[in-house]
Amino acid sequence: MLEIKDLHVCVEEDPSEKILKGVNLTINEGEIHAIMGPNGSGKSTLSKVVAGHEAYEVTQGDILYNGESILDLEADERAHLGIFLAFQYPVEVPGVTNKNLLRQAYNTIAEEQGREELDPLQFEDHAREQLKLVDMKEEFLERSVNAGFSGGEKKRNEIFQMAVLQPKLSFLDETDSGLDIDALKIVANGINELSGEDNAVVLVTHYQRILDYVQPDHVHVMIDGKIAKSGDKDLAIKLEEQGYDWLTDTVSVNGEQQ
Amino acid sequence: MSETEALESMVGGEYKYGFTTDVEYEDFPKGINEDIIREISRRKDEPEWVLEFRLEAFEKWKQMEEPDWPNVEYEKPDFENIQYYSSTKKKDGKKAESLDDVDPQILETYEKLGIPLQEQKQLQGIAVDAVFDSESIFTTFKEKLAEAGVIFCSISEAIQDHPEIVKEYLGSVVPKGDNFYAALNSAVFSDGSFVYVPEDTVCPMELSTYFRINNMQSGQFERTLIICEDNSHVSYLEGCTAPQYQENQLHAAVVELVALEDAEIKYSTIQNWYSGDEKGQGGIFNFVTKRGHCRGDNSKISWTQVETGSAITWKYPSVIMQGDNSVGEFYSVAVTNQRQQADTGTKMIHVGKNTKSTIISKGISAGESNNSYRGLVKISPRADGAQNYSVCDSMLIGQTCGAHTFPYIESANPTAKVEHEASTSRVGEEQIFYLQQRGMDEDDAISLIVNGFAKEVLQELPMEFAVEADKLLGIKLEGSVG
Amino acid sequence: MGKVKQQKERTFLQDLLNFQGSLNGKSKFLDEVRLKGAEEVRNIPFPTKKLEDWKFISLRDLYKDSYELASDLDVDVPDISEHYLPESKGARLTFINGSFSAEHSSTEDIPEEVLIGNIAKLAEEDNDLLKEHLNKYVENNFEEDVFSSFNKAFLKDGVFVYVPEGLTVDVPLHLLFVQTDADTNYFTTSRSVVVADKESEVTVVEDHIGLGDNKYFNLPVVEVNAEEESYVKHTKIQRDSREAIHIARTAAFVHHHANYESYTITRGAKLSRNEPRISQRDEEVEFTVDGLVLIDGDQVSDTHSVMDHRFSHCESHQLHKCVITGKAHSVFNGKIFVRKDAQKIDSFQENRNLLLSRKGLVNTKPQLEIFADDVVCTHGATVGQLEQDELFYLMSRGLNEQQAREMLIYAFALETIENITVDSVQDLLVDEVHRFTENQLDSELTV
Repeated sequence: MLEIKDLHVCVEEDPSEKILKGVNLTINEGEIHAIMGPNGSGKSTLSKVVAGHEAYEVTQGDILYNGESILDLEADERAHLGIFLAFQYPVEVPGVTNKNLLRQAYNTIAEEQGREELDPLQFEDHAREQLKLVDMKEEFLERSVNAGFSGGEKKRNEIFQMAVLQPKLSFLDETDSGLDIDALKIVANGINELSGEDNAVVLVTHYQRILDYVQPDHVHVMIDGKIAKSGDKDLAIKLEEQGYDWLTDTVSVNGEQQ
Repeated sequence: MSETEALESMVGGEYKYGFTTDVEYEDFPKGINEDIIREISRRKDEPEWVLEFRLEAFEKWKQMEEPDWPNVEYEKPDFENIQYYSSTKKKDGKKAESLDDVDPQILETYEKLGIPLQEQKQLQGIAVDAVFDSESIFTTFKEKLAEAGVIFCSISEAIQDHPEIVKEYLGSVVPKGDNFYAALNSAVFSDGSFVYVPEDTVCPMELSTYFRINNMQSGQFERTLIICEDNSHVSYLEGCTAPQYQENQLHAAVVELVALEDAEIKYSTIQNWYSGDEKGQGGIFNFVTKRGHCRGDNSKISWTQVETGSAITWKYPSVIMQGDNSVGEFYSVAVTNQRQQADTGTKMIHVGKNTKSTIISKGISAGESNNSYRGLVKISPRADGAQNYSVCDSMLIGQTCGAHTFPYIESANPTAKVEHEASTSRVGEEQIFYLQQRGMDEDDAISLIVNGFAKEVLQELPMEFAVEADKLLGIKLEGSVG
Repeated sequence: MGKVKQQKERTFLQDLLNFQGSLNGKSKFLDEVRLKGAEEVRNIPFPTKKLEDWKFISLRDLYKDSYELASDLDVDVPDISEHYLPESKGARLTFINGSFSAEHSSTEDIPEEVLIGNIAKLAEEDNDLLKEHLNKYVENNFEEDVFSSFNKAFLKDGVFVYVPEGLTVDVPLHLLFVQTDADTNYFTTSRSVVVADKESEVTVVEDHIGLGDNKYFNLPVVEVNAEEESYVKHTKIQRDSREAIHIARTAAFVHHHANYESYTITRGAKLSRNEPRISQRDEEVEFTVDGLVLIDGDQVSDTHSVMDHRFSHCESHQLHKCVITGKAHSVFNGKIFVRKDAQKIDSFQENRNLLLSRKGLVNTKPQLEIFADDVVCTHGATVGQLEQDELFYLMSRGLNEQQAREMLIYAFALETIENITVDSVQDLLVDEVHRFTENQLDSELTV
């Protein structure tokens, strides 16, 4: 579904600032991946680059989605393909209600994908159904996008939006951070409900905590702009116990091989 | 292209109303002097007292200087090079009694503007007074309104048919010599709308005037007067467009509103005069005095404006709250783009006890434009318990525009409460990316953000016009994403 | 009549220039400065209410009378030691009616690397640092301003402080300006120049005290230059005589990574006008321009501030609070400028007015002028009385009305002074707030 090949990325404004230094990653339908790593390792950047953020420039490598490069596509065009990013810091849009945003987004994507658009009533039903998933009240639909939301509400809103838009590939950028245990369970439950045979989820996270509730098929550790190690769930447990230091050493010793 | 560049390239959506109607005008000399004023009055067949009103105003105007305090820059109009009266030639020299008498070209013009006047096409539930250059062409639904006792006609007709009412109220809210452009208007005013709602009457439909400046030589000096007697209610809307000319044209209107006891006037404006081109050539100078007087207790006057057009806008729809418990409101969205300049806001004058005012102003600047909010909240010593709440927010799109806020607050009463807040923000790249990630293109994203920003004001518009205003904002800022 | 009045207004400051002669001859440098100042005074018209910046107050109280030059008067100076700040026992420069008084000054606690002295003496020594900095900041921030030019025309003395690179001055510098009682109206000017070089830190307390109830015209100008990474804290306390006219200018430059904090407390003078103008000189700076105005009787106090953001990355704050009773009149016009290309500005301004009497008047005009798009600027202004709910709450807890009112006024005022780091100044202001609130129970206002 998604193939990232030798991806090198720098900051557009400052090309000397290289963030990703050769990332390789393959994600197939029906999989859940977790990307872990210390602060500044480039994991958040990776998800933004996949979503098409303009602050970053790809200097080398490629991102293939269903076999085709998406590097030339704008962020909205990537969204039309079914790529979704749950933001680490969801943006506030005062005066624009969740419902308005999502109906417009849903119908635009549906149109692009040749699916049926929903009229306001149908959409309302669809949205209400998804609200249950994140345990939010119906007023939530009428509130301005993220404006005045608590941190936890913003994160839940991202999962809610994901549920409404039904993407094929979702990057969840630290959606678990800043949540108390109840909210974490709600978010995790949402992710589990939404992942299925024909879609894929990538959890970008700092902590092993959420992996108690969501079972990843693959765990990757990102250090200094590269995937330093890949494995299964046991890798996450090892990280939890031993931290990242043992990997940093590995990188410095086996640098080029990684 | 970075988002900022994209934003900047979006400015300058096309002006859809820039066409010209080819009609024949009566001859009228340019320039201003006593003879010109007498001639205007003669052609309009006015009673003596109106001529006196005009001449006194002219005397005052001659003593005045064009003010320079607004935060706008322009070349002062050459008052000798303006044609102060512009009337199309008519079959028998009289105003149309029926649509058959109206020049079909003009009818077509209004149809193109989305305001069909023909009976079968008329907008439902909205009575329209169509003002073309200096004169009212036609007023729809007059009979139906008359059944309810509501008078809705051009001010020229009102002077003929209801002189006692006009005489009582004309100049009673905006005096002849109030300010430079109000004095000029009082001397040369051409046409405009007149509304009179009798006691205990809710006007059965929305009233609306559609102003069109067509003649390149002329200025437009309309005069509107709305009177709501005790316990009556009216909602009125004006729309404005003009063709695209290289030269600037002057529009200096005066609007007076009077609300008596328990009366309510809601006045909405969608102003979309031609704003000039990207180099700042042409466009309307929109210098307008609008003032409402809450004369009776428990009365209410509410101004809502969506200002997207004009090269220069300079207006402060105001409310004098004289009656106890009276209410003044001002809701404004002002969008400037390219080289436009707007200096707009309101004055809320609290005189009566327990008077309340609300100001919600949303300024959006793009291109190389400058957008200023200027407002005055004045609490007089006897306005016990008066309250004002103001919010002035500005949004900037791109790096070459300016946003300015000049709120004046004066309080001389310790039991009054005044609160003002203002903020300036930008359309953030992160905001656009977020919406794009949800599948929207840049145009839609910006349009959505801007409409969200202006929502509190747009929802004050009568339903019939809210959609139009929504679109207008979109068009104004959308366009050529490269 | 009207014509005569106008005449007087126009030539008022020019007429006072006649007193200039007695000052000349001690320093060629200052002689030239004064000559230039006088020239400017002759060319800049006296402000009238027609000017936007002067529309809210009348200067009639100033120009209707005649004045003599303060330093020409013979005065008996009473004991003023009660006004000394304990923290600044050995760090005080005192000026009496505008002239330096060595007897009342002490610099023994100030590190010797600091150059501090009265301008008159440094000018006689032809000090290069003085010549480099004097007038540089005020001339930049105040163009075409007749009052700063007038100050220049009478510049004969004042304070010059230069803190060298890397030095932190622990003692607050107390600049004490005392105006004595007198039978004749007099005018006095002072100049304070504070230069904090790179990575230095200094606290200055500018303290104006009137000893009597007499009328005088006090025109102080303060110049501050906060160089890279420096930190300047400036507290100004104005307790001039209740008949005095106080017209002040403060010009500050804030450079890269520097921080300038200014707190201005206005309690005295019949008519006062403060004009802090802060100019950002480089990226990444921070400044604060707070004020507290406590006025009663027929006092008029006007603050016109300018926060000029000229480069990217600046955080600025302004909290200006006024308590108005009696027939007092308070004016605030706070301008926030953000110039083109000055991105990432975070500027906050709030003016809150407590209007406690029927005859009192408040004019406020916070003002934003923004020419850059990536900024967060907010301002707010409120005018009101004490919250009835709060009063009721306190009274329901057993306080009587006066106690409750005092407590609320006190709490309102305190917010602007709690950041002042000199303890004795804080104490002094707390007392001042107390004294002010005690007197302010307007019988018209009851719960």
